[in-house]
Amino acid sequence: MSVVAEVRAQLEELREREAADGTPDLRTSVMTHVVWAPPRWADAARRTLAGLEERHPSRTILLLPEPRRRDCIETTVSMKCFTKPGLSHEVCSEVIELRLCGKRAHAPASIVLPLLISDLPTFCRWRGEPPWGEPELEQLVGVCDRLVVDSSEWRGLPAAYAELAELFDRIAVSDVAWGRGREWRGRLAALWPGIATIDELAVTGPRADALLLAGWLRSRLRRPVALAHRSARELSRVAVDGEAVETPLGWPPSPSDLLSDELDLFARDPIYEAAVRAAHEA
Amino acid sequence: MSSAENPLAEGLRLRRTPDACAFVVFGASGDLTQRKLFPALYALALRRLLPERFGVVGVARTEQTTKQWIAAMEKAVKQHARDDFDREVWGRIAEGMHYVATDFADDEGQDAVVACLNRLDEERGTSGNRLYYLAVPPAAFETIVNELGERRAREGWTRLIVEKPFGHDRDSAHALNETLRRHFAEEEVFRIDHYLGKETVQNMLALRFANGIFEPIWNRQFIDHVQITVAESLGIEGRAGFYEKAGAVRDIFQNHLLQLVALTAMEPPIDFTADSVRNEKVKVLRSIHTPSPKSIVRGQYGRGYVEAEEVPGYREEEGVAPDSQTETFVAAKLFVDNWRWADTPFYVRAGKRMPKRETTIAIQFQRAPHPPFAEIAGDGLRPNVLLIHVQPDEGVALAIGAKVPGQGMSIRTVHMDFLYGGAFRTGLPEAYERLILDAMLGDATLFTRADEVDEQWALVDSIVAAWRRDRPTFPNYEAGSWGPRAADDLMHRDGRSWRRH
Repeated sequence: MSVVAEVRAQLEELREREAADGTPDLRTSVMTHVVWAPPRWADAARRTLAGLEERHPSRTILLLPEPRRRDCIETTVSMKCFTKPGLSHEVCSEVIELRLCGKRAHAPASIVLPLLISDLPTFCRWRGEPPWGEPELEQLVGVCDRLVVDSSEWRGLPAAYAELAELFDRIAVSDVAWGRGREWRGRLAALWPGIATIDELAVTGPRADALLLAGWLRSRLRRPVALAHRSARELSRVAVDGEAVETPLGWPPSPSDLLSDELDLFARDPIYEAAVRAAHEA
Repeated sequence: MSSAENPLAEGLRLRRTPDACAFVVFGASGDLTQRKLFPALYALALRRLLPERFGVVGVARTEQTTKQWIAAMEKAVKQHARDDFDREVWGRIAEGMHYVATDFADDEGQDAVVACLNRLDEERGTSGNRLYYLAVPPAAFETIVNELGERRAREGWTRLIVEKPFGHDRDSAHALNETLRRHFAEEEVFRIDHYLGKETVQNMLALRFANGIFEPIWNRQFIDHVQITVAESLGIEGRAGFYEKAGAVRDIFQNHLLQLVALTAMEPPIDFTADSVRNEKVKVLRSIHTPSPKSIVRGQYGRGYVEAEEVPGYREEEGVAPDSQTETFVAAKLFVDNWRWADTPFYVRAGKRMPKRETTIAIQFQRAPHPPFAEIAGDGLRPNVLLIHVQPDEGVALAIGAKVPGQGMSIRTVHMDFLYGGAFRTGLPEAYERLILDAMLGDATLFTRADEVDEQWALVDSIVAAWRRDRPTFPNYEAGSWGPRAADDLMHRDGRSWRRH
């Protein structure tokens, strides 16, 4: 039996088992959610997904590449079912975990394509820095509608932004690091028109977040803005020409909240794309 | 701040957050405040949707201190909010709460409210912006409106949310509107009908106007009829004083039911702004002609069983006259006389002590003109129905005929379901959350305008006028049933029947 046929059979069996009490559960999906998670990111990916499934019922295809192992594909199929007060049925999402070993890790699209849900958007969350120009990235960019990254997981900044910008005409891109800065951007926008002549932006937080904030200001204000960056796990302080900006309320959001927000977006974001280009060019 | 002026504002997907303001509740110790308003404020605070500079002033006759009122509201939030209680979130609301015990007609008391609001402006920066919520019996409206009008803040905006019932007939609604007009512009008045705050009611607009497949067939050529049911399993829950005067026609039909008819029948608005949407709804309400007495059924429940529990008849409820003629059920066949809907009946019904709580809009399409399978259909080939569940199990279902697997050609009706809880598991906001937030933002799209209310009452007045001429034999339906037999006859005469539930 092929891997895809095996996955389908397992899904069928799970659905029958869930329906065994006589009340068929609802299998509702708003998208196919592909997650590319190399081994070091696998646990973090599962944790984020756990906080997400309830909000975006979907078929999740979790791809765990292990190119150094012997060729194989290991499949684990499960249903995540949730109850909701007032709803007589459980609502179920499907999670297909595929461990792609050896050469199989280099042809992910061929297994993802037959498992996509027709007519619904496909989001690809890429954990860690994508291998720019490599077939696995190229293939998934070809089959997905939106690529979701978190550039704070990357080591090659800001040069990697140039690589990312190369993808903009091929796939809509979201960046969790950009989402994290949203409320801060609101605070900075509120400083208009005083902020129009800013010379320096000081940011305490992940490097990606700082680079993107500075890139955004450069691209929107069309002027050079120097960046003074102090590294921290969370985006905790922003100052304009030495003056601290008021911290947004309710900060910081959870990783699941951030990814959830990105999964609500469908179109290209020209403001983000310009910020990425300006973050790299500085 | 437009993006044309501020390049940093472009593309910002910030949450809609209202201006700094003070929220003033008249009827601050009442049931609505405890069950709905404070749980809604709490939900908004939890989601960071309230302004940062915010305060709440409660006004009621009940003698109590601010501290006691805050404690009572905290208890109400713990009991009725849809989210778990978070002390930090509640603390943010509570630190800006003040209570003023006064009679609404007492000038000194109203001056105390103004003084309290001015203090809030200074202490919490609420900038003179006021959102008043009249959670009070209708008899108190005029007094409060006049008091508020005479004490308007010089700076900032003033908005007024008015609870239903908005009048008890066309004349009283007209008088109330005149009172409001003396002190407030129409865009400052937010007449609340909480049904319009429900996600599924708004989804009706999305379903119709965001999907190309429905609008071309949303007319008399393809739709056989429309059925709207607003059923409650509860009785009057101690509200005899109100209900005896109102009855089902004023409690549900005049507002919720007619709003659902309007949303179902309206033409596409040019945009989703308050006036565009409401203009189209008013056109529908104007197009509904007065139903003949034969097209109206009223009923009153007698003793019966609901969910296996014996419940008293309406006339046995506390505070109800033993010979009460108040209707607890109303059904009607309405016609929207316009190009789209001519001769297409809208069957509507609303009642108390029905077998279950359910609000649905069922769009029944014409039968397939010549189904070749009719003779071998399993349970009869039924027409397609688009069913909109407003509550509970919010969602949409489409009934279609499908082949039963196996030999032969047996057709069964199956439902394709979209359940809100299944597709968008963000938790549906309570109607009051959406409506209070919209009022703070100045968006009146989901509130009823004066001319809508006027048209609704015009229809109700004409119905009620005919009722005055006869005395029905009440009770005429058992609690726990779907209403009087005459309601079924209303449909059967046309060769139709109410949906099976």
